[in-house]
Amino acid sequence: MKKTFLEGAIASEFIAESIAKHQSKHSIGAHNIFLGQVRSDEIEGKQVTAIEYSAYEEMANEKLHEIRESAFEKFDLTCLHIYHSLGRVKVGEICFFVFVSAKRRMQVYEATEYLVNQVKEQVPIFGKEIFENEDFQWKVNS
Amino acid sequence: MIKVHYFGIIAEAAKSEGETISSPGITLKSLIGDLTEKYQLDSYEFQIAVNRKIVKEMDGLELKDGDEIALLPAFSGG
Repeated sequence: MKKTFLEGAIASEFIAESIAKHQSKHSIGAHNIFLGQVRSDEIEGKQVTAIEYSAYEEMANEKLHEIRESAFEKFDLTCLHIYHSLGRVKVGEICFFVFVSAKRRMQVYEATEYLVNQVKEQVPIFGKEIFENEDFQWKVNS
Repeated sequence: MIKVHYFGIIAEAAKSEGETISSPGITLKSLIGDLTEKYQLDSYEFQIAVNRKIVKEMDGLELKDGDEIALLPAFSGG
């Protein structure tokens, strides 16, 4: 089972390192990356300062495995990676990282969008939006 | 034993992340009915997973020893 969940924010160094690791795969001609960043929404006059993520990890990992398999069936990809934060991620930090690589560019755009949508819709991850005063509300994806 | 997991707003309502229930032969429908009453979950929307698969139709599903149930509010990853 590939590792998806990381504790806390996804560091830019981690993302850079992921790109660097693919330099030895010479059949790749195109990468596409999606990064989800925690946004400071204002809700009823209160500002979001962080999101605290939790997940039903066993089910999430099974679902992520299915999503990966289906993406490889649908698109001509060389490899793909999905990472998502657990725990607290502050506004401005990265919480979601999808990295798709293929021989040519056409496939990577569509595959990235497919993966991002599938993760948001199918994977049991729950976000709690934390306000300045430590009040919170459960996030609903729009 | 049947393991029940709560997540997100449901865990908050139940004040717990889960529990183990010993009710051999109970149907999923009656277990969910009991939990809804116990934690007053009527006003919450949630999906139910049995052994990590979402169940769309609860009718006639009898639970067995070792089953893992989860009450899942709307997903909000990303």
